[in-house]
Amino acid sequence: MAGKGGTTPATYSPSPATAKKKPPHLKEDWLRPDGRGFHQCRPAFFRTGAVNAASGSAYAEFGNTKVIVSVFGPRESKKAMLYNDTGRLNCNVSLTTFATPVRGQGLDHKEYTAMLHKALEGAIIVESFPKTTVDVFALVLESSGSDLPVIISCASLALADAGIMMYDLVASVSVSCLSKNLVIDPILEEENCQDGSLMIACMPSRYEITQLTVTGEWSTPKINEGMQLCLDACAKLAKIMRLCLKEAASDSQE
Amino acid sequence: MEKIKKRMGLPNASEDLSSEMEVDAFRRLFPLRYFERHLAESIRPDGRPLMKARETSIFLGAVASANGSALVKIGSTTMLTAIKMEVMTPSLESPDEGCIAIDFHMPPICSPIVRPGRPAEASPVVSKQLSDTISSSKMIDLKELSLVSGKAAWMAYLDVYCLDADGALFDAALLSAVAALSHLQIPAVAMNDDGRIIIMSDEEGQKQEPVNKEKRKLTLKSILFSLTCILHKNYILVDPTSEEESIMETHVTIVLDTSGQLISFYKPGGSVLAYTAAIQDCVAISRQRVQELKSILENSAMEVE
Repeated sequence: MAGKGGTTPATYSPSPATAKKKPPHLKEDWLRPDGRGFHQCRPAFFRTGAVNAASGSAYAEFGNTKVIVSVFGPRESKKAMLYNDTGRLNCNVSLTTFATPVRGQGLDHKEYTAMLHKALEGAIIVESFPKTTVDVFALVLESSGSDLPVIISCASLALADAGIMMYDLVASVSVSCLSKNLVIDPILEEENCQDGSLMIACMPSRYEITQLTVTGEWSTPKINEGMQLCLDACAKLAKIMRLCLKEAASDSQE
Repeated sequence: MEKIKKRMGLPNASEDLSSEMEVDAFRRLFPLRYFERHLAESIRPDGRPLMKARETSIFLGAVASANGSALVKIGSTTMLTAIKMEVMTPSLESPDEGCIAIDFHMPPICSPIVRPGRPAEASPVVSKQLSDTISSSKMIDLKELSLVSGKAAWMAYLDVYCLDADGALFDAALLSAVAALSHLQIPAVAMNDDGRIIIMSDEEGQKQEPVNKEKRKLTLKSILFSLTCILHKNYILVDPTSEEESIMETHVTIVLDTSGQLISFYKPGGSVLAYTAAIQDCVAISRQRVQELKSILENSAMEVE
């Protein structure tokens, strides 16, 4: 490989991670790379108050997927927009340069930003902070599969930590369809060879869905099965998130 | 709330009001007076003596996918550094040298003053200061990053992310960069038939000899530590918080190596002039701090093992 001379040499990663792996031959005895059962989520870890400079914040870790979300406000709206009596929600998601296996540019993730906004806006009581903006900023420290669901759950926890009024916590989980199998909370390797994916963000106590995305090829019974799997997992996830908030509240009382 | 004008020109008014006002309101309205009252008692609002740095911790290997990484906390200020090694073709002028690219980022999560699309003022300043300090100190021998002379060498991308900004950003950034460099593990690589460098995997047998059999860890010739002090009137405040930095503007940053040798001294202007005595005092405090940081770094390395 001839290098381009000059001041900015082109570099490449020596690891073969760029090559998209071929789907594993899905036999009867196929196992997930991390040894989990098909319907078993990674252990979830949440901690509120990760960033002192923010009004509220949370850190979430699902396996090697690690995310920090900070919430600022309610504060003055910076963008010049039409007058609006209700509050405004502003989201941003970015990745660190070292989040992905091959070094990235560390730019904003426009798609996740839009999706995060849509997943949260239905849960927030915007009438409770009229004429002001609540900023929800997420940084993906390490990306290792199911990034968006982790960002959404973590963001709703950070909003709760900031004391922003919500109808309920938003918990989010995704499933991947790998030929005949449905695997929940997929890791990067599984997402790279999936036939389809389904993601739900919901408010478990109200049994309301704020976001549902389905991509790829799905049969109707598979969609039903996948949705049920996600809803059950969301309910469990919300319990863990609630527990984290309770612990933080009892710690601060002491 | 942030809009309250700092340092209103009403010294007499504050005198009269201070007896009646709530402490928190006084702190917001007259921050400088509030601080000076503490300084006169040789204590800071967070309970620290003037010469005491905040609690510092280092955690090595925080980023699993990186070749070297470290998470550093000084008080609330948090920095995450990761190093990723990539391969480049060395330049014609220095065929036996690799390269190191240092970058400092302040994402919008770290502070209320940073907004998406509008980078913080401090971020390019700290970035430049970091790469200048590390490259001028000869801490790293770039020849150690060479793989095949004239054909391939390492490009080390060192990215520092500020996760929580609460003052003394350069100190925390340098500490995390140095800690990540000390944690760096260089993978064993071989050159394939196309002249590309690939990572050696255990599975494929030992057909090829690694081109970097011995050079798997960087030799850090010296280890750098820094300390930022605020100069205000005759007071020296060590390791300032962001509140202190916003109220008292003159600060000096001193970088020393472990043998106590001065590597760099940085005083970017400010209204307070630094007299020789003050500078000597700052350097003396920095020497103590270097010993403290050195043992914290050594302990964190032992925890990993």
